[in-house]
Amino acid sequence: MTATASIVAPKRRQRDTGPVRRERNLGTYFIALLFIAVCIGPVAYIVLGGFRTNSQITASPAGLPNPWQIGNYVTVLTSGVFWQQLGNSVIAGVTTTLGVVVLGLMVSFVLARYRFRGSGALYSLFAAGLMFPITVAITPLYILVKDLGLTNNLAGVILPQIAFALPTTVIILVPFLRAIPDELEEAAAIDGASKLGFFFRMVVPLSLPGVVTVGILAFIGSWNSYLLPLFILNDASTYTLPLGVQAFASQYSVDTARVLAFTSLSMIPALVFFAIFQKRIVGGLTGAVKG
Amino acid sequence: MTTSVALRSNEAPAGTGRRTGGADGSPSAPARRARKGTDVRTRVEIAVLAGPAVIMFVGFVILPVALAAYYGFYKWQGYGAPVDFVGLQNYTVIFTDPDFRAVLWHNLFIVIGSLVVQGPIAIVLALLLNQRIRGRGLIRVLIFLPYVISEVIVGTGWSLMLQSSGALNDLLQSIGLGGLRNDWLSNPDIALWTLLGIISWKYIGFAVILFLAGLQSIPEELFEAAQLDGASYWQIQRRITLPLLGPTLRIWAFLSIIGSLQLFDLVYIIWGQYIASTAGTSTMATYMVGNGRLSGNYGYGNAVAVVIFLISLVVALVYQRFVLRRDTAGALTEKSDR
Amino acid sequence: MTRKIRATAAIALIGATALVAAGCSAGSDAAGGDSGDGKVSMTFWNNSTTGPGKAFWQDTVKAFEAKNPNVTIKIQAIQNEDLDGKLQTALNSNSAPDVFSQRGGGKMAAMVNAGQLMDISDSIGSGAKSGISDGSFKAFELNGKTWAMPTNVDPEGIWYSQDLFEEAGIEGTPTTMDELNADIQKLKDKGIQPVAVGAKDAWPAAHWYYNFALRACSSNVLNKTAQDLKFDNKCWKQAGEDTKAFFDTKPFNDGFLTTSAQQGAGSSAGLVANHKAAMELMGAWDPGVISSLTPDGKPLQDLGFFPFPEVSGGKGAPGSMMGAVGGLSCSAKAPKKACTDFLNFVTTKSVQENYYKAFNSIPANKDAQSVVTEPYLTTVLKAYNDAPFVSNYLDTLYGQNVGNALNTSVVNLLAGKGSVSDIVSTVNQAAAKG
Repeated sequence: MTATASIVAPKRRQRDTGPVRRERNLGTYFIALLFIAVCIGPVAYIVLGGFRTNSQITASPAGLPNPWQIGNYVTVLTSGVFWQQLGNSVIAGVTTTLGVVVLGLMVSFVLARYRFRGSGALYSLFAAGLMFPITVAITPLYILVKDLGLTNNLAGVILPQIAFALPTTVIILVPFLRAIPDELEEAAAIDGASKLGFFFRMVVPLSLPGVVTVGILAFIGSWNSYLLPLFILNDASTYTLPLGVQAFASQYSVDTARVLAFTSLSMIPALVFFAIFQKRIVGGLTGAVKG
Repeated sequence: MTTSVALRSNEAPAGTGRRTGGADGSPSAPARRARKGTDVRTRVEIAVLAGPAVIMFVGFVILPVALAAYYGFYKWQGYGAPVDFVGLQNYTVIFTDPDFRAVLWHNLFIVIGSLVVQGPIAIVLALLLNQRIRGRGLIRVLIFLPYVISEVIVGTGWSLMLQSSGALNDLLQSIGLGGLRNDWLSNPDIALWTLLGIISWKYIGFAVILFLAGLQSIPEELFEAAQLDGASYWQIQRRITLPLLGPTLRIWAFLSIIGSLQLFDLVYIIWGQYIASTAGTSTMATYMVGNGRLSGNYGYGNAVAVVIFLISLVVALVYQRFVLRRDTAGALTEKSDR
Repeated sequence: MTRKIRATAAIALIGATALVAAGCSAGSDAAGGDSGDGKVSMTFWNNSTTGPGKAFWQDTVKAFEAKNPNVTIKIQAIQNEDLDGKLQTALNSNSAPDVFSQRGGGKMAAMVNAGQLMDISDSIGSGAKSGISDGSFKAFELNGKTWAMPTNVDPEGIWYSQDLFEEAGIEGTPTTMDELNADIQKLKDKGIQPVAVGAKDAWPAAHWYYNFALRACSSNVLNKTAQDLKFDNKCWKQAGEDTKAFFDTKPFNDGFLTTSAQQGAGSSAGLVANHKAAMELMGAWDPGVISSLTPDGKPLQDLGFFPFPEVSGGKGAPGSMMGAVGGLSCSAKAPKKACTDFLNFVTTKSVQENYYKAFNSIPANKDAQSVVTEPYLTTVLKAYNDAPFVSNYLDTLYGQNVGNALNTSVVNLLAGKGSVSDIVSTVNQAAAKG
């Protein structure tokens, strides 16, 4: 399919030649630019706001930094709080992603390539989990985590996050794994490998694109999650970045510029991550849609 | 032998995955088909591979559902064991509470508003961006950006921008549209529209990317054939592109609806726990948190959680059954059709 | 096994280790306790997040630790609006701080009933007993036992800018509601925002209702409602109508619905501090909050105080005041000696004098009240001592559930979204939810 598309693609829109085509492209560029401006504008506001002083912001709310101040960013970067929260977010994100990938891949393999009574029901069970997201489950979930003694503990955030990321993971990975041709499995069997051997040697490497997509979604989900940490984490030293942003914003609300600096700094890891993996993310969505 | 062939033809294709081996039965029975001796081993493999995920899922997702249903029958402050059984009273209070009816309306507004606002704009943008223009990759990255940022950051940034003396009003003033300045956040007449605007800003890039992916899976030959037949650009879009984009549209709509029903972070960050209902932007989730945990009414809060779950479930099932039925088999409905 | 497997296994192992490490590090400092060698550590939650208040607690803790070298106290300052919710969660999940700010009323009753507070009746030192009035202790008594040590007294009234009043040509201060309305009109005529209110946090708007209820209802009704949580007496409705009549004169600052009470220059306290609004209704902690929000960070020079005006036709005794006693509680699991020692230390004369200097509010210890010199605080003290009846703030008195509902319904009234009868029906409904 990809092959076809890449061969055929250059022929798109061939009928538009000359001035009409250029006009359409200019129009397209203009609209695209407008759209991008709308999308990026608020982000730019946050980032630039950190470079101003409060009096600048009060005097000219929509203006540019004049002069540029790096004091706010320096203050935030040199305070331990930001890095502590960043560290907490990293721990939570990485561990959640690992858990989701490992558990999700294993159970998707079972659902995709084993035949057993109840496999349909198990799949539906995971799919039904989409209906009960963390937002809705938070009240009883909090009680459960509390009873397990995991409040104020990143584990109390990580474990539920893994569990709640499983439905999406399963829904993405199962079709992916189903698409691996039976012949490969038969070949492996003929070579004497067990089903498990087939899993480790062939399925895991082959499913890498799907796994990467799933991993990225899980990481972004964990990085941005707010409600679960809000309920579970009380001690400020355990806060993740979203919690930290809100706590910082309310504690220093007099200092709008500093709040904006903190906010934009906490955006950066997500943006960097996205910039690195953007092809994968978008490609993964493509696969999910087509598949 | 017979068993294996029969099993093979029973498999629903599930709309996915190209089986190059063909479901129409290949001559050799695969060596993996169950022989009594390997059944035990297979079962162990299944248990070991699927076990951890199932345990986690049942433990942290299914169990809370059941617990919520249980706690919802009590009046309970959250400590000790629940002892004050009140049956369905919490549910009666929920459905007679004007605040809850208000949040139902707000959520409905967001659901429909998101579909109506984001859908058409995203389709048009996807059509536009589907052309070979320079910097296409960069454009895609930039419009997807708002989706990647957390709702907390979006909420914090926007709430600062939308203050009465904030950047938006200032910008309007400086480009001569001073008359449009407003109390975007606290005017009950427009606060909900403001919320819809912020949500659309955040999620429209996601829709565009999704639609772009869908557009790219439409075979080029169809367009060429139509052009050869003399169809105009808009005719092509209407008759070929949109219908073929259908499955993508329906999946996006599903995700959008479910997301709108669960809205919490943005509202909570911008409007706080107290005035969301006054400003007219409260949602089912903020109602649940405000009346449940933040007021110490855990029994009531759990009952609200059950109600939200049931509403989401019904919406999802109805949608799957009537809208997605043509596109995919298997997710929630029976695999047996087809 | 292939490279990939080993890599995956390694990553999984690292992940698991991180998980365990996170678990160990984060969970270890939940509650204080005896570590066996005589060293005691405690956690202390308060709502002094900025300025001299924050410094005061740090200095006080340091002084206490110097006197008691085997005790360490870790302070966590939590934004006032988040404190109650976080405290309740922490108390319910066994990760409660050892020492924390206590508001009393129904909120305290809920903690007592759940066995979350330490009974300090027999640990009150002689200094505290003689220095602090019985009335203040009464605020923290339940079932015949005392559950918190009073630290300050915060009666409520209207804080105003004398300069802005002068500018509007107002002489003296209003003593009746009609006079207040006339003064508000004078301010409006001069283009000055009359009243700042932080309706975003709900309780500042609700405090107007509390005071109207104080004027309309007898003290018996107010106290009885704390027991049965029924708002059937018609004085509640009358209070609502008085409130609505006042709101209808549109006395508030622009955008009051998203104005917070204490956070930043845009808050209601900030507006008064920067002369953008003439007055606000607040408890006696306000001078301290205002002074941290003035342009120079120093106390507002022209700050004045007058008690809530009288309203005709009500059953409340004239001169009654709304007011809270602030205090500190020990959690049931706190180390008893260390915690009660700290409580007693906080109420000594010198510490109380420092408290006054830091917070600009009235210390509970009468011996320390002699350092109160600000004219506005002397006005407050006099009104407080003359008051026939002082009620705790209604949202504290009636507990978190009903209190929150009461506050939000008043904001709804303020925003024109609810009616007077909605206030009563909302609180009755809230009682049904919990």
